[in-house]
This record gives sequence, C-alpha cells and structure tokens, in this order.
Amino acid sequence: MTDYSEYVGRATSNSVVVIERGPVANFARALKSEESYFYNVKDAQDRGLKGIPALPTFPFVMEHWGLFLELQPEEKLSGNPVIEVLGPLMANGGLILHGEQAFEFERPLVSGDVLEGKGQVVECYQKESNGHVMTFVVTETVWSDFNTKEKVVTSRSNVIHRA
Amino acid sequence: MSDIIKFADAEVGSEAPVLTHMLGRTDLVIYAGASGDFNPMHTDEVVATSVGQPSVFGHGMFSMGILGTALTGWVGIENIKSFGVRFTKQTWPGEVLSTNIKVTSIDQVGNKTIVSLDCSLMNQDGQVKVQGTATAWRS
Repeated sequence: MTDYSEYVGRATSNSVVVIERGPVANFARALKSEESYFYNVKDAQDRGLKGIPALPTFPFVMEHWGLFLELQPEEKLSGNPVIEVLGPLMANGGLILHGEQAFEFERPLVSGDVLEGKGQVVECYQKESNGHVMTFVVTETVWSDFNTKEKVVTSRSNVIHRA
Repeated sequence: MSDIIKFADAEVGSEAPVLTHMLGRTDLVIYAGASGDFNPMHTDEVVATSVGQPSVFGHGMFSMGILGTALTGWVGIENIKSFGVRFTKQTWPGEVLSTNIKVTSIDQVGNKTIVSLDCSLMNQDGQVKVQGTATAWRS
C-alpha cells in the first residue's frame, strides 16, 4: 500500500464559470425534466429565482459550458494531483470508477451567476477489496458567487482506481 | 399506485412520484452533448464493444441526473439542500429505469423544517444503479 497522505490539501482547480440559460435548460431537457421553470423565465421568477435554475447535478458539468478563458484567474496551479495519483496507476492497467458524488447547496444555481471554484484533494488512500488494490481520491470544490463571495455549492467526488 | 402526495404534506415514509424512463442510445448522445462527457463508452458502440463491453452504457451522472430530476420535481429546485449518491451498477440501453424517493425524517432546525430522503434508481428487475440521500428545506 502506498501512502498518499501528502496529496491531501493539494489544489485541483481554480476557475471561474458563467451560468447561462441555454446550457441549463438543455441540461434539464437531457435529464427529462418537465418543470416549466427550466424553460420559461417568468415561471422561474414566480418562484423567487433570479434566472433559469440549474438541476442539482449541473455543477458537475458547468465548466464544460461556462469556463471562459478571459475570466480565469491569472494564478496557475502547479500540476494536477488527481492525475499525479491516477496516471502512474493507469499506466499499469486497471479501471477508473466514479464511486460517489455529492452536492451541498446554499442556494440554487441560476442563469446569470458567475461562480468562482476552488478545488482540493480532501482524502487520498488505498485499501484492498476482493483481492483488488483500490485507490480512492476524494476531491471537493467549493463554488462561491464571484461578486458577493458567498458560498453557493460544494461538490464532492470520489474517484477510484481499481487495479 | 398510491395517490400523489405533495411535498408540503409529506410525512415520514411518504414517497415522491416515480419517474420511469426506458434508456435509449439517443438519451446518452443527448446527455453527452448537454454535459460535455464524450467518453466513447457512452456513445460509440464500435469502441465500447471493441474493449469487451456488450454495448454502450449510461453515464453514471445520467443516472444521478434522472434521480435529481425526480427529486427536483417533488421538492422544488430552490429547496434542495444536499444530494449525494454512490454509483453501484452500470445502466444499459433497453433498461427501464425508475426512481425511488422516500422521506426518512423531518426535523425542525430553528424556524425551518428539513426533510431527509433516501433515493435510488433501479432497473425493471430491481437492480440498484445509484443509491443515496438528499435533504430539502420545507417552509
């Protein structure tokens, strides 16, 4: 078993994303939601929302849509600890599994939001299960409102390498 | 099927309306586009079968997302406090997936009420695909 404790606390991301109406509505459609407030801003406003809201799993994909290069922090991270852990393991084969995913909300994400995310490794360890060495990398990203600095959502992912 | 219970009236043991969906390959292509996850295991049958999979299979986050749609439909997007799952099995085209969301406790926090729920997604044979919990505010 390898000791991966030095990876805990390492930064995984530092980014700014913009939440736009088209992507969140399309995401709701892809996930079969028929709630009118994803498609009609008046219905969203009637619920007290400032824009079209995003389904709860949207934080997992929002960098794909809203990571605009001109808004990114100038400070660049040195290396990616998740790749540093999983890369050498994958070089010897095995499988990468998404084991768990969780979100904790202070409020819903809505179109018009600009969010700032800082991610880090919160757990990194190995254990043996059914004869397989399993390596767990748990990362947590805290997304805050770029303007008010208030926390909006925390996303926690557990990625596993099974040798 | 029992009568539909509104979230506002739910008690411990109450269940959300069930969302049922037969998984098709097109669903996975649409989800790939909406999420940006273009892993060919989910969209390219040629690649998936070439590495020994019987066919393409669903994104784990599609399963969690469908469960999230059912959760959101019942409690309202503005009320979701937390939502977390463990991924237990792959999903396959042709499976009929259905959501199970049930109230496990209702607690008072100050002047607010917080409802805890167990949630899972299973196929037509009862095989659990994702399993987790959620909490939602209720006024």
